[in-house]
This record gives sequence, structure tokens and C-alpha cells, in this order.
Amino acid sequence: MALLELKNISKIYGELKALDNVSLHVDKGEWVAIMGPSGSGKSTMMNIIGCMDKPTKGEVLLDGEDISKLPGKRLTDIRRDKIGLIFQQFHMVTYLTAVENVMVSQYYHSMPDEQEALEALGRVGLRERAKHLPSQLSGGEQQRVCVARALINHPELILADEPTGNLDEANENIVLDLFRQLHREGTTLIVVTHDPEVAEAAQRTIVLEHGRVAREVVNENFVE
Amino acid sequence: MTKRRMFLRMVTASLLRRRSRMLIALLSIGIGATILAGMVTIYYDVPRQMRAQMRSYGANMLLMPAEGETLDSERLSAALQKLPADALVGASPYRYVRLDMTSRQQSFTTAGTDFAEIQKTSPYFSVEGRYPEAPREILVGREIAETIGVKEGSDMELTWQPTARESDGNPSDDRKPGARLAGSAKGFGDAMVYVTATLDNEAKIAELTIDASTQTPEYGGRTAEDALFLKQFIGKALPLEMGDDVDALSGATVTSTAVVEALNTARADAAVQPKTTRYMVTGILVTGGEEEGYVFMSTEDLQALTGEDALDVAELSISADEEQLNAYAEALTGDGVQARLVKRVTKSETAVLGKLQALVFLVTVVVLILTMICVSTTMMAVVSERRREIGLRKALGASDNSIRGEFLGEGMFLGLLGGALGAVLGFVFAQVVSVNVFHASIMFRPLLLPVTVLVSMLIAAASCLMPIKRAVAIDPAIVLKGE
Ligand SMILES: Nc1ncnc2c1ncn2[C@@H]1O[C@H](COP(=O)(O)OP(=O)(O)OP(=O)(O)O)[C@@H](O)[C@H]1O
Ligand SMILES: [Mg+2]
Repeated sequence: MALLELKNISKIYGELKALDNVSLHVDKGEWVAIMGPSGSGKSTMMNIIGCMDKPTKGEVLLDGEDISKLPGKRLTDIRRDKIGLIFQQFHMVTYLTAVENVMVSQYYHSMPDEQEALEALGRVGLRERAKHLPSQLSGGEQQRVCVARALINHPELILADEPTGNLDEANENIVLDLFRQLHREGTTLIVVTHDPEVAEAAQRTIVLEHGRVAREVVNENFVE
Repeated sequence: MTKRRMFLRMVTASLLRRRSRMLIALLSIGIGATILAGMVTIYYDVPRQMRAQMRSYGANMLLMPAEGETLDSERLSAALQKLPADALVGASPYRYVRLDMTSRQQSFTTAGTDFAEIQKTSPYFSVEGRYPEAPREILVGREIAETIGVKEGSDMELTWQPTARESDGNPSDDRKPGARLAGSAKGFGDAMVYVTATLDNEAKIAELTIDASTQTPEYGGRTAEDALFLKQFIGKALPLEMGDDVDALSGATVTSTAVVEALNTARADAAVQPKTTRYMVTGILVTGGEEEGYVFMSTEDLQALTGEDALDVAELSISADEEQLNAYAEALTGDGVQARLVKRVTKSETAVLGKLQALVFLVTVVVLILTMICVSTTMMAVVSERRREIGLRKALGASDNSIRGEFLGEGMFLGLLGGALGAVLGFVFAQVVSVNVFHASIMFRPLLLPVTVLVSMLIAAASCLMPIKRAVAIDPAIVLKGE
């Protein structure tokens, strides 16, 4: 059953077609990687799927609901309720501790629960660093806090834009293992990456070029 | 954990862990609140302070005998009892009489008063020398001092000449056989001529003494010695007609007429005998006003001289606003006295205070606007500094109202801290201003603390409106861009 369906969407900035008539179908529980050269429209697509931007043309169906024409307020609600975001620059609120950063996500979603937030940090192996400020954490640790923050509200869909772009091998593996766990739990994952290793961890890879879907590769070696 | 606790945790963390920037906002609110609290304190305290100062411009109320009544020291002190002690700055009694300086053939308006009170009601009086302290010490107005050439330390002999007018009844009642009559009348140069006469068994003049020492010795002065002139009066009944009963002494018509007038108005009363006392001048009074033409002595000295306890008016200096003064005047009127405001003084006092308050108000408003601009600018900088964080919060699902609430919360928290700080510092500020400018300390108003805090919070909130607008407009998509 389709969780997400892009139907012929385009995003046009003046002359530039950042996305050009793209269609995509992602099933519930699927793990999809998106690759492509710089400027090919990956982030533009993620913004549209993540309810932070609207396509110039086309339809975006999330859980069967067309979100491409909803007002900003409704988009915020959907983003909050259904989507977990992970970014390349592991954005954190600089003056809040690791656990507080996770709780911010709970705060906007429903109710802050420190215990639950600590458990989520435990899941990414950072239970001991819960009271540390971002400046006291390494980049890899910060990204793991962001993963904990993304999964705390049990979103149906996790969108990650180059989650391992700034990480070393060890941290990359930790994050990939977390993704595998989430996948096993039934969470749908869409991961933008430049790294073929990260792409190979997914079930399927979409390659974008000049705002179009150039090809689609199914990962034969995918281990459930 | 509740949402509210998380909200407070985020707001306080933002303020406490991002100290440097917030300190600037806090400082500007704090300074604004300080000036606000200080100015409000001064605004309400200025009238109290200034009113006391303004009392140096002289009395603002007059107490007079009511129609057909007389005022004396007893009635005055009874009336003053009706005023609250802390409102009454001073009350100067005045009794005005004409006293003669026989040696100079002059007479002066002399005021009997209380020198201690005068210094309170008319602090602008200046004395070359000193105020009288002992009995029989007097002040002389500059104008008089210049005309007759008296100086600090000079002696002055003054004579009280009771006039017939002031006694009860008619002079003819006193013209009984064997009576001793005394009288006076204005002679040459308005100087007094005194007569005493003894009547015989038929109530005709048996003996006559004339005191014309104030008159020119070669002319009017001779009336006292000229035997022929004096002889004309003996054996005649009063009243006398000039030219009919007696002839004027040649070259002394005015004095002769005064002698006849003095005899015709002469009275038998023993108390109406002229009385002379020697006084010491302790100072020359300089006021720039009509007081310079007066002689001032203590009420007691004047009573000793005239033998009567009577007052013409009392000047009161009261520390109160116009409305209150009117109320006091109403309360004082009655029991034989009436009170009335010195409008000129009260009006200008009210006007000056009004202007001062308007000035303080204006300064306060300007300071508040400046504070708002300063806080607003700081918050604006805070918003651009936190663009990414705001974008992140939005990406995490923060609604526009959440963003508004968080910034407003931070602003109000700053207002709370700055306001509390300002209320305390403001009181210190007002105290310093008051002590240096008004030479008086200020009352602490407990209400000032919550009011300052509240106003500071409102101002902080108002200052956040523009920055909040900008924060709400931030696009969550920026977090996905590698800025
Ligand atoms: N707001 C915008 N206004 C104009 N052009 C834009 C805007 N956002 C993106 N673009 C353009 O759209 C194109 C696609 O951008 P996008 O960020 O999706 O690329 P990307 O595939 O994510 O690249 P990278 O791998 O470098 O992150 C780029 O050429 C970019 O310059
Ligand atoms: Mg990108």
C-alpha cells in the first residue's frame, strides 16, 4: 500500500526546473535511497515530501491525502504528526541539552516525557551524554541525537537528507544500524545520500539528474 | 513533565545559556524600568517636595476677623488648632499701628508680629543685622532707615498716642467737672500735637499743657510756651471754635488749629495717655516691597506699649494643593475669623507644579520609547541570530503560535527581571535625585514594584512584536539547505 505517491511534480524557480515532472511511489515500510549529483533536485524533493515546500505542479499524496495544495498550517500539522526529519548539518538547539533537544520534538508533537526521551537517547547509545550541550558533543554524537529526536514521536515516515555526509565510518555504521532497526519496526525511510554504501543499505535507489528520475535500481543484496 | 514546564525550561535556558545577547536586552529593559520607576516616584513626590520649597514664596492664606468681630492671639491659636500640624509651615500675626518718633517729628506704621513665624512665612525677607530676640528690639524697613538715618544698633524712641477715635463713646461724655482730658491731633507736616487739660467745677478749662515738640520750634513749637496764646483757653468750655473762641498764634495757624482739634477730641480715659518707649534697632529689613516702609516689633512689645491685645490679620503659610487649601480655608472660617487664599501665590504654585509634572511625564514617555526601540533592536538581532533554530523548531512541527509564544515568553521574562531590577534601582535613582535637587528624601511606594514590573513586561512584549513577526516568517526549509 502506498504511503507516498508523487504524481508528475515539478518545482520551477524562474527558468530553472529544480524538479521536472517527477513521479515516485513509496510503499509503507519501504526503505528508499535517493542519489544524484549536486543540484539535481534531491533536497527540493525532500522539502516537498517533508511538507516544507509545495510543488509548482503535480500532486503529492501522503497516506492518500493530497498535500500539495494544503495551507501552511495544515502542512505543519502533518509534518509534526507523520514525519521525522534528519539533516546533514545535524541541527540542534544550541542552548538545550541532548535530552532537552529530544524533548523539544515531543513538546511540539504532544507531551514532553523526559523518561521516554532518555530511552530514545539510550537507543542511539547516548544515555550517558543526555545532560550535555551540543557544543560538548562530537558531530557523530550530535547526528545520533538528531536520529533519536526524529524517532521519538514514532513517525510513519523518516526523511534523512545526507545523514551520514559529515560522519566517520564508525558513526555512519551506527546510524545505518539504527535505520535497519527502524525499518524492521516498519518505519518508512527515505534517505538522500551521495554515499553508495549508504544507498546499498536501502531496498531501492532512485537516481535524479537535472530534476528528473534518471533510473531506479533495486538492491538485490538487501538483507531484511 | 507538562508542556508548561518544558516551555519555562526552554525560555529560561535560552536566557541563561545565551547570556551575552540577553544581557543587553535585560540591561536596556532594566535601565528603562529604572528610569520609569524613578520618574514615577519623582512625578508623585515632586508636588510634596516642591510644595515645601514653594512655601518660600510667602503666605498663601490670610486669616482676618470676621465682619464686626475682632481678632486676638487667643482666637488665632484656637483657629490654628484646626489645621494639621504638618501642613502648617508658619503663621505670622500682624497688628498695625502708627507710632510717632517725636524727636524726628515723624510717625511710622508699625507692625507687631512674631519674628520666629515671619521667618517661616516670609523666608525671602532679608535682614541687614539680625532679627530681634530680646524685648524692646525692633526691625526698621530700609526706606525708613534711609530717611531718618538709623542703623543697626541705633536707638529709637517711639510714642504710642491713643487717638480719641479709638475710644468708645463721645468726647463730650468726658467733659465733667474736675476731669483730666488728653488728646492729640495732626499738626504741621502731619506730626502729632498733644494736649492735656484739667477742667474746673463748671467743666471749663482750668489748666492747659501743650506738647508741640514735633512742630517747628520757631513757629508751631511756640504754642506750648506763648503765655498769651495759652491764656485764651482758660475759663472756656469745650468744644472750642477757632477764630470765635480762640485766635491762632501768628505764624502757627496749623499747629494752633491742631491744638483746638486735640482739645475738642480729648478724652478722660487714663489708658489713652501717650506712652513712649526706647527701642534698639537690631536690623534693617530689605524685602523690595512695602514692608520697607514699616517698623517691626514683637507682638508683646506692641502690647506693652498700647495695652491692647488685638490683631488685624494673620498670614499663614500652608503646605497643600489648591483644593486642600480651599478646604482648610473653609474649616478655619467661623468663630469670629475668616480665611481667604492668596490667589496669586496659590495659582502660580499650581501652574509651576503642573509644568514640572508635565516635563517629568514627557521624559518618561521618551525614555520608554527609547527602551522599546533598544529592546526591539536587540530582539531583532536575536531573531536573525537564531534563524536556523527557528527554522528547526518549525521543521519539528512548531506552529506559528508556538514560535510567537516562545519569543513573547522570553521577552516577558526579560521584562520581569528587568522590571524588578529597575524598580529597586529606580527608587535609588529617585532618592539620589531628590536628595540632590530637592534636599529631601523620598517615600517608598510599595505599589511601585508590581507596577514597574508589569509595565516593563508590557513594554518588552510590545518590543517583541516586530521581531516575532520576522521569526514567524522564517521558512523551515532553510534547515535543509547547507547554509
Ligand atoms: N529557493 C530557490 N530558488 C532558486 N533556485 C533554487 C532554490 N532552491 C533550490 N534551487 C535550485 O534548484 C536546484 C536543485 O537544488 P537542490 O537543493 O534540490 O539540489 P540537491 O540535489 O539537493 O544538491 P546537493 O547535493 O548539492 O544538496 C539547484 O540548481 C538550486 O540552485
Ligand atoms: Mg541537497
